[in-house]
Amino acid sequence: MASVSASCLRFHPLLLHSNQPAQGSFKLVSVSWPKSWFPSLKATRFRVSCAAKPETVQKVCDIVRKQLVLSPETLLTPETKFSELGADSLDTVEIVMGLEEEFNISVEEDSSQNITTVKEAADLIEKLVQKKAEAGA
Amino acid sequence: MGTSSGPKLSGMQKQVLSLYRGFLRAARLKSPEDRRQIESIVSAEFRRNSQQVDRKNFLYIEYLLRRGKKQLDQLKSPDTVGMSSLYLNLHQPTNHKP
Repeated sequence: MASVSASCLRFHPLLLHSNQPAQGSFKLVSVSWPKSWFPSLKATRFRVSCAAKPETVQKVCDIVRKQLVLSPETLLTPETKFSELGADSLDTVEIVMGLEEEFNISVEEDSSQNITTVKEAADLIEKLVQKKAEAGA
Repeated sequence: MGTSSGPKLSGMQKQVLSLYRGFLRAARLKSPEDRRQIESIVSAEFRRNSQQVDRKNFLYIEYLLRRGKKQLDQLKSPDTVGMSSLYLNLHQPTNHKP
């Protein structure tokens, strides 16, 4: 009996508080809910924001250097924007094409136009490589 | 990717970039030597136009896009080995005869 009322409450606690005074038995359950609710939300948020592997970032850096013919002393960090290095949109297309070949992936046009930094490229590559591995398995 | 840091591209710019990508993809299917040549010609042509063509000259850019798509279709054919002859013709109008 208690478990039935709990599963209903999951969706309503806020409404119940504002609209009508909750009945005694309901109130008891709604108080205990938040404790188990919030930690799980936090956990999923942390999992999403994992960074790309260092070797992927390094490979991307090498390709960007080669493609833009950068001198060895040019500073290139994961956050450096391609445009800061003097790359135009045609250069960016070339960089993405070079990455496609290096990592043996296919980048969709929509996402390739959103790539402006080494980090963004590396993150997208890892996503695509992983997706490909899952599809092939 | 939720980043809005990239430059906002117009529809026409996207078409041009997509065409450029198409050429580079088609070039991959040729022999390494032809590929390098095609890439240098295509890259030079796109860069030349990006410098010389007024970005408000939509009619002309549309014409170039149409022309480029036709050339890309030709290039995709396995019979087409290289690009040089294709572009020699196109450069003629710019060489004004006295």
